[in-house]
Amino acid sequence: MAEDTLLSDDLLRQLISVGEVDLLVGIPSQYSFSPVADVVRAVEQSLSRQFVRQRVVIALLDGGEKNAEQLAAAAGNGDERRNHTHGITSLRTIHRIAVNFAAAPTPGAALHTTLAICDLVRAKAAAVFSPTTSNLSAESVANLLTAVYRDNFDFAAPLYTRHKFQGLLMRNLLYPMSRALFGSGMREVFPSEWGFSGRLGSHCFNQEIWQEEVIRTQPEAWMAVNASCDDYRCCQVYLGEKLPPKNVAAIDIVDILRQTVGALFWCLESQQTSWLDSEKVHSAPTIGPAHQLTSEPTEMDRHRIFEMFRSGVTNLEPVLSTILDPETHSEIKAIVSLEEGKFRFQSDLWVRTLYDFAASYHHAVINRDHLVQALAPLYRGMTHSYLVEHADSSPAEIEAADEMLCSEFELQKPYLREKWKSKVEVKS
Amino acid sequence: MRDTIIQGLSQAYSNFVHMIAEFLPHLLVMLIIIAFGLVVALLFKYLLRTILRLTKLDKVSEEAGATKVLRLAHLPSMSELLSRSLFWVTWFGFILVGLSVLGVATLQEQISRFMRFLPEVFIAILILFLGVAIANFLSRAALLAAVNAGYASARIVSWSIRFVIWILAVTMTLEELGVARQTVIAAFSILFGATMLGLAIAFGLGGQDLARRFLEKNLGPVRQDEKKNEPQPM
Repeated sequence: MAEDTLLSDDLLRQLISVGEVDLLVGIPSQYSFSPVADVVRAVEQSLSRQFVRQRVVIALLDGGEKNAEQLAAAAGNGDERRNHTHGITSLRTIHRIAVNFAAAPTPGAALHTTLAICDLVRAKAAAVFSPTTSNLSAESVANLLTAVYRDNFDFAAPLYTRHKFQGLLMRNLLYPMSRALFGSGMREVFPSEWGFSGRLGSHCFNQEIWQEEVIRTQPEAWMAVNASCDDYRCCQVYLGEKLPPKNVAAIDIVDILRQTVGALFWCLESQQTSWLDSEKVHSAPTIGPAHQLTSEPTEMDRHRIFEMFRSGVTNLEPVLSTILDPETHSEIKAIVSLEEGKFRFQSDLWVRTLYDFAASYHHAVINRDHLVQALAPLYRGMTHSYLVEHADSSPAEIEAADEMLCSEFELQKPYLREKWKSKVEVKS
Repeated sequence: MRDTIIQGLSQAYSNFVHMIAEFLPHLLVMLIIIAFGLVVALLFKYLLRTILRLTKLDKVSEEAGATKVLRLAHLPSMSELLSRSLFWVTWFGFILVGLSVLGVATLQEQISRFMRFLPEVFIAILILFLGVAIANFLSRAALLAAVNAGYASARIVSWSIRFVIWILAVTMTLEELGVARQTVIAAFSILFGATMLGLAIAFGLGGQDLARRFLEKNLGPVRQDEKKNEPQPM
């Protein structure tokens, strides 16, 4: 049952008037007003056309000085929009509730509240959509909700068409590593939109992890990994093309690494019983078309990426020597001295490097935030190598290379196990 | 004459025997105290070592970067160092108590001075340890931030921070120990002031462009070409 203190009196009043529902959609809008309206429009269109008989509620989660009326106004007037839709429309009222936090909620707080609402209104299926998604369509919303509500999956991760050089962190690290270790077949373990069953929602809600820093900033990865490791039924739903997020400033690799790799390493730590002595593979069937890659020409400053890798590895030598195995470190130092044209970050070295980082994170050989930051130059090296190697590769060739990288992660799993279980040597 | 000499020698012998008779029990007591102190010190050492291993102090020390400094100074791990220190301090305390039993006035004065000084030594060691740990943490944070932001002089920034914090920690340690207090404070003030003035002048005169670029990059509007430097990671 939802905690008494988590939900405000105002929210409880709104939920009591809503009653039990079949579907819940949570929209955490910690950014600005305008994108929320687009997402709410897509969600309402989808619900009014595809879930005509279902009882539904949309929860808008925001923070700051706005009150419930202002939030609802920012999200647009649902009735007006329904008048413009054609064909079959919802037979029931689409309830919209506003959850206002004192300040912009962290993703963890927003998800925790969504799960509390899900638990309280006994929703059978729920989905979360980020307002940063610039091309969310009513079909995408329906596809995610259908997978959970009608196909009885417990977790529905998205699947996109991407540019071949987009999502490299996902393809070179997060997906292959989570697949090798957790046996999770989901490509997008850090989704910006995903669906989940009421059953999984209640399971996650009752976990004692909501005060963890990682969960506060990136709870979706934990939810995906948790669903996979605890044998919930997972699937992937094709949602179309993945466009870069709206209204987001220049890329900050370090922040992204903190949020994603930090969260993945934390999951390795918290779920170690699931992977350390287990070879379980959890299949995640795909609903709709498979993952696709496109290859339009794109501008990249490869030289700058290489220079940042080279200077980073050179300057961080004392830090990397603490994290990496001496052999791995010496191999990295060897490739740093190569000319840019001859430089390649081989997949076996990349995997060993990541496993050294994961083991060092586990043993906390240095401050964990520092450890994740130290990965940035190496990720840049891998990115440079990938851009050069696949400059002219077709999507099929890239898929094959990605699959080989996944196999390399699998192959070196015993190396991580050994490192993970070994005690930290403090020289006397 | 002969009798006087014999009487003198006899008196001296008697005094010597008396002195020995008086000294030997004291010596024996001293040796017993020292031996007992050795046993107690060994017991304390093993007890502290076990407690520190259970509390995983070495892991914390490794994380804070203090172990690395100890390695550089060819010192053992933190838990080993602390347990050995406790052993020596305890035993040394017992040795001093034992020596005080001998009743040598000058020695007793020195012992009591040392005992009064001991808490200050401990605080000084603590200040130095915290200083080293903080310096390592902050210098590493600065190094990582500078490297990931692409600054050319990342190591200089890191070392400057480490150096300033070390100087501060050493100055505080010496002040705690009361070693040339006035001189240390004056030297620190001059050194710190000169460093800050030097940096201010260097940035003010030589780093105008750098400061402008820094402000533009961090506070100015995002340029579209900056977004294209690296592929979208997610």
